[in-house]
Formats: sequence, structure tokens, C-alpha cells
Amino acid sequence: MMTHERKRKIEGIIALTFSTLAAFLGLFWLVFILGDVLVHGVKALNLSLFINDPAPAGVDGGGLRNAFIGQLMITICATLIGVPVGVLGGTFLAEYARGRTVARLISILADIMVSVPSIVIGTFIYAILVRPIGHFNGWAGAVALSIIMIPVVLRTTEDMLSLVPWTLREAAFALGAPYYKVITQVVYRGAATGILTGILLSIARVAGETAPLLFTSFNNSFYSLNMSQPISSLTVTIFQYAMGPYDSWHSQAWAAAFVITIFILLLTITGRLIIKWRYK
Amino acid sequence: MAETSKKNPMDMVFASVTGIASFTVILFIIGILYVLIAESSLAIRQFGVIKFLTSTDWNPVKESFGALTNIYGTIVTTLLSMVFAIPVAIGIAIFVTEISPNILKGPIGIAIELLAAIPSIIYGMWGLFTLSPIMSNYIEPFLKKITSGLPFVSMLFEGTPMGIDILTASVILSIMIIPFTASIARDSFNLTPSVVKESAYAIGATKWEVVKNVVVPYSKLGVFGGIVLSLGRALGETMAVAFVLGNNHRITTSLLDAAATITVTLANEFAEADTDLYLSSLFYLALVLFVMSFITLAIAKFFLLRAERKYAR
Amino acid sequence: MKVFLKIALVLAVMLSFTHVVAAETLHGAGATFPYPVYSAWAFDYSKVSGMQLNYQSIGSGGGVRQITERTVDFGASDDPMKPDQLQKDKLLQFPAVIGGVVPVGNLEGITPGQLKLDSGTLCKIFLGEIKTWNDDSIKKMNPGFKLPQGEITVVYRSDGSGTTAIFTHYLSEVCPEWKDKVGAGKAVKFPVGIGGKGNEGVANYVKRTPNAIGYVEFAYAKQNKLDYIQLKNKAGSFVEPGFESFEDAAETGEFDAKKDFFLWLTNAPGKNSWPIAGATFILLAKEKTVSNKNVVKFFDWAFKNGDNKAKELIYVPLPKSLKEKVRGYWKTNGLQ
Repeated sequence: MMTHERKRKIEGIIALTFSTLAAFLGLFWLVFILGDVLVHGVKALNLSLFINDPAPAGVDGGGLRNAFIGQLMITICATLIGVPVGVLGGTFLAEYARGRTVARLISILADIMVSVPSIVIGTFIYAILVRPIGHFNGWAGAVALSIIMIPVVLRTTEDMLSLVPWTLREAAFALGAPYYKVITQVVYRGAATGILTGILLSIARVAGETAPLLFTSFNNSFYSLNMSQPISSLTVTIFQYAMGPYDSWHSQAWAAAFVITIFILLLTITGRLIIKWRYK
Repeated sequence: MAETSKKNPMDMVFASVTGIASFTVILFIIGILYVLIAESSLAIRQFGVIKFLTSTDWNPVKESFGALTNIYGTIVTTLLSMVFAIPVAIGIAIFVTEISPNILKGPIGIAIELLAAIPSIIYGMWGLFTLSPIMSNYIEPFLKKITSGLPFVSMLFEGTPMGIDILTASVILSIMIIPFTASIARDSFNLTPSVVKESAYAIGATKWEVVKNVVVPYSKLGVFGGIVLSLGRALGETMAVAFVLGNNHRITTSLLDAAATITVTLANEFAEADTDLYLSSLFYLALVLFVMSFITLAIAKFFLLRAERKYAR
Repeated sequence: MKVFLKIALVLAVMLSFTHVVAAETLHGAGATFPYPVYSAWAFDYSKVSGMQLNYQSIGSGGGVRQITERTVDFGASDDPMKPDQLQKDKLLQFPAVIGGVVPVGNLEGITPGQLKLDSGTLCKIFLGEIKTWNDDSIKKMNPGFKLPQGEITVVYRSDGSGTTAIFTHYLSEVCPEWKDKVGAGKAVKFPVGIGGKGNEGVANYVKRTPNAIGYVEFAYAKQNKLDYIQLKNKAGSFVEPGFESFEDAAETGEFDAKKDFFLWLTNAPGKNSWPIAGATFILLAKEKTVSNKNVVKFFDWAFKNGDNKAKELIYVPLPKSLKEKVRGYWKTNGLQ
């Protein structure tokens, strides 16, 4: 006899079981995907991958040295552009413009920019930094990535700075310090780990981007440090190799995917751990 | 408001520098809009607005372009991925906030973050090499078999199961979206004051009833905002889908058919469009996508803001 | 923090040392058709000359676009441009090597070169009118083979492709229905199938999809051990794709330097000609005099030294007389 009570209980058990299954499904995907990348990637890892440049199409051997270096250069340049702009921008919103409507507006727009399709940013940069210059170049790729980075860094900086108690600033003012000194010498120190985490996470975000690089930094089958010409990147190379027919390309793509994934996961974990440890 | 009694010149400099930095955000949005409109003006003049949005033509040889096939593909893959992702994401959020023992909450939380951090190209590659054969050899034939008699549903599974189609692309997209939605839902659920939950328990509610009748209604706005935000993200996803969608410009009712989305069309054809009108039409597509995702993200932000305001009482 | 800075400094010094031997680079983009042979030539050339030729295979459509916009030093396309079009965009054009477009299939139990098709059946398959491999018209030409029942998956090029141009040019020549319904060009609206990016993408999809059929440049079929298909040519005989049948088709070609070498080699009349052969072309921007000279130097070297490599990859090097015509074209246009 199905009492009302039992019905409620059964409904509960079904629903909660479903939830638990959902959680394990999520875990399953994670383990499956990471496991696959691990298994295929480690199989293809060897020293030649890091030391050699690509061999001609369809020929075995060769490595991805140019892609690793290129990816590093583009990411570093994007960071050098994006982080200062983002941190300074977030400072403005949290300090000089705190509470004003313009700050709220920029904050909302920045949140929207965080999720704008990255390929649209690629087309934008093509129009302003590739066509007028006359050829694909690494700087265009770096700028495209920095456009993705800036809103992320800006918002985390703003949030972290807002967490610093106002009394800290008041104490500094009381000692006669001008506002900019209060910010750079007191507030920044207080929010340093939070801002650093934001930076790490934004790097993790752009290090894996492919779409904005497709028609900005383009690709280069040779080793190059010249940012004003096309330069290869790990992500675009993975795209090219995975879509190609050669088995040697496929295994190199897995290895590259493995390296990038490990790098990004390490950055992400480091970022989260810093937050946890600092803001316990 | 922070005002020092003397106007320190360095302060004005620093304020202006930081102010300019923050204005880059506005600059980018206006800049992108302006450039996209300028570049697509040739196509806009040629095709107009309504005709472009409703035409299924995509013929580079005859230079006739219409966005409908791409918009259709974008919307179908996005909506389908949400259908797969939302129940799972909410389930995960419920598990993490209400069911799991405290020791597990940390690790599972990290697991969700890791899933969210994996770059989309990895998803795409994994989709092509691992998921697609599984779909074409096991899952798709199975789905075809069990729906073969049913009148309406069988239309969804017509055609050869190749593994390179709307269904596979949507599955991958949904796996990407799950962590995103789950973490926003989890954060929203966590904001329910325990006082309210405890009162519900006190009158004899089961755990599930507390979730259903207290937590979910309380965090409606935040969860909904999170869902719309994930929708906005899914709209703009390129690499995860590019490997397994099949690049066929057409409108089809079968999930086992290849299709095209705006993002994948841009990725495949942008560097190669050889006529001015072709390139301009691609910019036009980018403009349509930009507007679509901007509006979606703005709606999401609206809901998230209202949720914030509600909790800050 | 200090340790991090030290590491960064060491890394920077390391990188700068490797860069001491700075190599000059030429950037080109375009057809995936000749990518295997261009990348092989570029690899060998960089060892003897120190000049790096960075060739990105993005499809002929991309090659034309990029050179028209002058975003690269040279473009490559299998879809030859007419002289008036070249005049309009101020471009120069010359052929580099000849190859063949080959239909490839993924059929269980069939080895490369076993299956036979003629222009009619090929056309109908790509139109979607023949849907399965065990169709009667295919069975008639291939007695004794067990053809699979499954539906054929057509694979075509999703990007702007000279290979597509050559293939559709052939289909339009031999199949009035194709000419009517679809036409020829670098990017046509294929009635059925899935699109792969580049010759690489098509080869990849055909390789992993049972009962698929696609069209690729022969080097891709060979390198990836795909099942290439015999075709019936204009003279009525079934020919296998390969060096002999490509060379036979190439010999019938009458390239004219005054017309900037504009010529299609499809449906060649020779007895053993492969019906879908084609030359692949290099496009140069008239005003880029410095880089043009370097590009020409590379191809001159390839004409002198690259024949064996080309043959190894089953491309047909240009016949001697054509090479001379090309050198004459270079001299007339101040490129050499």
C-alpha cells in the first residue's frame, strides 16, 4: 500500500540517485578524456618532439619545437599586453571609480566580453592588424589573445581589490599618503595573491585558444622567433595535424595535446590552491 | 569617495592611466562592432538584412550567400547540447551541495574546474579520434534501431551513422558546457541560507523536498542566469565542434547528418574566401554571431545581477 | 620571484643563441594538392640554401585570396586563372608540377586499384543518385567482387579547393547533368556528403568512414594507403592512376606562356591518359620584385633538382620543353 510518506521517500531516492549518477557521469567524462589524452600523449612523447622541427608532409620523424616556442612567445606577449591593461583597468573600477555608474557599466561589459566568441575576435584582428600590415604576424595573434585576457584579469582584479577592507586604505590616508601610493603600496599588497590567481587563470584560458590564431598568427612550418611574420603555435598545429591523414601527424598531435593540457591543468590547480591557502 | 585634500599630479596621472585601461573594454566592443559592420557593408548592400538571414544559399561559385543554414546549425547544436548538459549539470550541483560528504566536496569541485579548464581543441580532437567512432559504431546504429518504427522520432535518426554529424557535435559541446553550468548552479545553491533549509527540515521535509521546494526556487535567478551564460558560451564554440560537424551547408531534420555552424564556417572558409563578396559575407556572419551572443550574454548578466541583488539583502 | 627571473633570463639567452643563424623565410600559401611535394622540396632546399620556404596548405581558394591581398609572398592554386583575371589583380602565373586527382574509397575487402568506375557512375555517385556500392551499374563493371550493401558516404572539400576545381571541371566535361545541377569551381554546392578541410581532411574522413568515397590528389592516396579507383578515360580504356597515366595526360597539354599557361588537363585524349590530371600553379604579385626573385630561385632549383623527389611522391615533373617555356616566362617578366 503506497502511503503518501513512502511516495515522498521513493521520489526522493530516485531524484537523489539521479543526481549522484550525474556527478559520476561528470567524473566519468573527465577521467575518460584526460585518460585518453594521457595514454595517447605519453605514447608519442619523445625528446625529438621538443628538439626537432617538422619534417615534410607524410615523412616520419620531425618534431614540434617551432610550435612549442611559437606558442610560448605568443602567450608571453599576450600576457605582457593583457595583464598590465587588465590590472590597471580593474584598479580604476575598484578605486577611483568605485560605485560610479561608469564603473558598473564597464564591469558588466567586461563580463560579457569574457564569453564573446573567440573566433569573432580573430576576424576583428585580421581586419585591423593583418590586412593593413600586409601579412600574418605573431603580434596580431598576441593582441587577439590579450583581448580575451583583459576582461578576465580586469574583473578578478576589481573583485580582489574590493575585498581589501576600506579601513586599510583609511589608515594609509591618515598617514598622508596620496591615493596612488595607497593603491600601489598598500592595496596591491593586500590583494596580491588574488590578482596573481586571476592572472594565472587568464593565462590558462588563452594558452589553449586556437580560433583567434587561425587567421592572425597563421602558421609556420619552420622555427622562428620573428613575431612580425607568421609564427607557428601548438594549438593551430594540433588542429592541422589532427585533421590530417598521416598517422605520424596524429601521434604528434596527441603528444602536443598532452603537453598543453598538463600545462593548463597545472596553472589552474596552482591558481585554485593559492586562493584556498590564502583565503582560508 | 576617495579624495585627497591636495590634488596630487601623480594621482591624476595614475587615475587617467587606469581609467584609459578600463575604457579599453568599451573600446573593444565598439571597435569590434564597427569593424564587423564596415567589413560586411558590401554583403549588406548586396543581400540586405532579411534576405541574408533567411536564405539557405551558400554558393561561393554563384556568389550567393545566406546565413540561414549556419544559423540553423548553430542553434540546433547549441540547444541540443543544452538539453544534454543542463540535467547533468543541475544533478552535479545538487550532489555537490546536498548529498556528498564533506570530504568529497573539494575533490569533486576540483574535478569540475579541471573539466572546465580543458581547452576546446582537446575536446575536438578527442571527439574526432575517440567519441566519433563510438558514436558511429555503437550509439548511432542503436538509436536508429530503436526509433525506426516511430513516426516522428525516426526522422531524427535518418541517414548513415558516420559519427561526423550534429549529434556527435552536440554531445561534445554538452560535455564542455556541463562544468560551466554546474559550477554556477553550485554557487547559486550554496547561497541559500541554511536557516531556511533547516526550517524546512524541521517540519519534516525529505532532502529531495528541501532541494526541490526550497533551494531551487531560491536560486532560480542565479541558475537561470548560469544556463543562459552557458548558452552564450556554446553559441561561440568553434574548435570543439569543427572536427566532428562535417561542414555541409544545409538544413536537415536528421541528427545523423552533417551541418554547419557560423563558427565552423568561419574557421574553415575565412582564410580562403577568394572574392570580396565572399569575405564580406563571412564578416556578415561574424556580425550576426557577435550580436546573437552579445544579446544572450547580456540577458544572462541581467539575471545574474538580479540574483546577486536578491542575496545581498 | 628572483629564481623565476633567473630562469627566464637563462631561457632568453638560450633562445637568442639558437637564433644566431637567422634564416630568411619566404611565406606561401595555397593548394593542398602539391603540399607533399612542396614541403619535401622546401625541406631539402633549406639545407642547401639557408632560405626557408614556409608553405601553408590552406586550399587553392586561400592561396588566391592571400596573394591577391599580398599577405603572402606567393600563392599556389590548381585552379588556373585566365589572363584577364591575372591582369586585373596584377598577378603572374606559372605551373610547378603535374599530378592527378583520384577517387578513393573505403571498401572492405577491396585493395587499391581493384575497383573500376566510369564517368557516368562516378557522376551519379557524387550526385547522390547511386546510393549503395552494390548498385547494378557498379556491379556490372566489377564482376566477381563482393560489394558492400551499405550506403555510400560522399566526402568532398569544405574549403576553396583547386582539387575540387579540377574534379568538378572533369565531371562537368563528361556529365551534362553535373554541369547543369552543380557546375565547376573551387567551392561548389555538393548535393550530398560531408566536407573535409584540405586534401588532408578528405583523406582523413575517407580513411575512418566505411563505405566512403572521396577525391584526393594521388600523393595523399598513396601516403595513406587509400583504395584508389580505376576510371574509364576518353579513349575508352580503364586506367589506373599512377606516374604513367599522369604523364600520358601531361604530354597532351599545350601550355602557352602568352596565355599565362592557362590550361586544363582533364579528360585528356591519350590512350592511357588519366582522365583527371591537372597542373598546379604558382601565383606571384607583380610588384613584389625582391621576394619574387627568391621564389623563382627556389622553383628553378626544384626544376633542376627536385624531379626525383616529385616522382617518388607520384607527381609528374613538368616536361623539359615546358620548363623552358616557364624559364622564358620568368625572363620576360623580369623574375630571373
